[in-house]
Amino acid sequence: MHKSLNSSSAAALEMEQTEVMKPDTLEDLIKTLHKLFESDSVNVEEVQSIMESYESKPHEWMKYAKFDQYRYTRNLVNEGNGKFNLMILCWGEGHGSSIHDHTDSHCFLKLLQGQLKETLFDWPDRTLQGGMLQRSQQVLLENQCAYINDSLGLHRVENVSHTETAVSLHLYSPPFQTCRTFDQRTGHHNSVKMTFWSKFGERTPYESTVSQENN
Amino acid sequence: MEGYEGASSSESVLDLSRLNLNNNSLDTVSEKRRKDTKQLYLCYNRMTVLPESISLFSNLEFLDISNNTLSVICEDITRLTKLKTLIAKNNRLNVFSLPKHFGSLQLEVLNLSGNRFEEMPSQCLQLLQKLLISSFFLLFFDEQTSHLELLYLGGNQISSIPAELANLPCLSYLVLCDNRIQSVPPQLNRLHSLRSLSLHNNLLTYLPREILSLVHLQELSLRGNPLVVRFIKDMTYDPPSLLELAGRTVKSKNLPYSHKDLPSHLVNYLDIASKCPNPKCAGVYFDSCVRHIKFVDFCGKYRLPLMHYLCSPECTSPCSSNPQSDADSDEDNSVPADRLQRVLLG
Repeated sequence: MHKSLNSSSAAALEMEQTEVMKPDTLEDLIKTLHKLFESDSVNVEEVQSIMESYESKPHEWMKYAKFDQYRYTRNLVNEGNGKFNLMILCWGEGHGSSIHDHTDSHCFLKLLQGQLKETLFDWPDRTLQGGMLQRSQQVLLENQCAYINDSLGLHRVENVSHTETAVSLHLYSPPFQTCRTFDQRTGHHNSVKMTFWSKFGERTPYESTVSQENN
Repeated sequence: MEGYEGASSSESVLDLSRLNLNNNSLDTVSEKRRKDTKQLYLCYNRMTVLPESISLFSNLEFLDISNNTLSVICEDITRLTKLKTLIAKNNRLNVFSLPKHFGSLQLEVLNLSGNRFEEMPSQCLQLLQKLLISSFFLLFFDEQTSHLELLYLGGNQISSIPAELANLPCLSYLVLCDNRIQSVPPQLNRLHSLRSLSLHNNLLTYLPREILSLVHLQELSLRGNPLVVRFIKDMTYDPPSLLELAGRTVKSKNLPYSHKDLPSHLVNYLDIASKCPNPKCAGVYFDSCVRHIKFVDFCGKYRLPLMHYLCSPECTSPCSSNPQSDADSDEDNSVPADRLQRVLLG
């Protein structure tokens, strides 16, 4: 269930979706996503396939890709008429996230540049000692799109490269402002408020900047 | 990580990346273009040597030569008096690749990550604000690095952090992830400007209590370290030697001493006494002490193990209770109240 689609199954799905064309530009992708999220039900494979089929063109998203020296940034691109949030995350060398959940929402993660390592965890079990054990890992390559929701587990996302930055496109539906971060050694969790480094290409410095990442 | 800011016109930016260029290709750039260029991108080409013709770009401020197969940077680069940023990652450079007078460049940002350095190139440390480097084993610091704000040493084979690293008063971002570090020297609390410390994927079992005094520290990464989760009940305690007992008495009673009274090795011994952190104890210790782990919420992390050194088993850590207790309180009474609150809430 949790995988990115290979090109042949993506192509097969495309042929079935006569109404929806492969998006050429980021603008096209956003328009298509608005259409796909018009109704209340989400076809996960369809969204994943559409996101994967957009071939990343840096000049289209560069204005959203604002990096911070110290940690990864979240840059809001589109609010999806309230149905979803679309944002771009910028990861410097070595930057990584905490282990976190997705507050009962769908989460799609597509690589626009560079690579990200995703480590999956089961929800912590109080009876188990020795902390949270990882279940699996994968390295996401450029243009691949991964999917997760709370029923599939928790994850940590990291840019493990010491020489290359990474940029990823995230879609969350429905949108959410808080999530839980987990301490890997103990399973203890905290609720954290999620903030944006920029919105629609403009830096938003007055949101909270103190990091609450357990990484 | 190094974006260039300040280019006012696109004529000053020359992008020659991904063009399959070889060592002679720079000769084809016109003289006017060379004089106008302030930012030059030569990444993802096939250059093995940075050619002498680079010195003809006399107004160059930013040079990116990453992802070639460079093994030599020519001496002529030192004629680029305005060069501030040099990015040379993912090449084949080592200490012998850099020209002798490389240190005369007024560089602020130097990125040598992904090369083949086994030693820190000492000839490049003047005036630097940012240094990124991987693949080396030795560290070398002196006053010349005092401007450094960013030091990236991730992905090396470093097994211990030299205390000299603390001599970097401007350092705000220190990256030591993906190494083999077993302990953090308490002297790092002298890095007054430190804002972000990256220690993930090392061999740390605890952190020094002194880390709490880094008041500007907001980010701290520790994943992938074998940090202890439970207070270790059996701490072996070697009783103090006669020398130590005598030293403790001299220090705690404030008995004056000097080179006139004592041989110099004893004066030096007395000078290195450490104060017991228990505020109710005025004692000191030398080599004989009890190690005690306290768990403190800090920097968004839950129950980080911080190591205290106490002068004896009867001494208690600056905290309530029973040092044998498994359920260590998260409070640390010697930390000022406002700092404690910030620490606990992350």
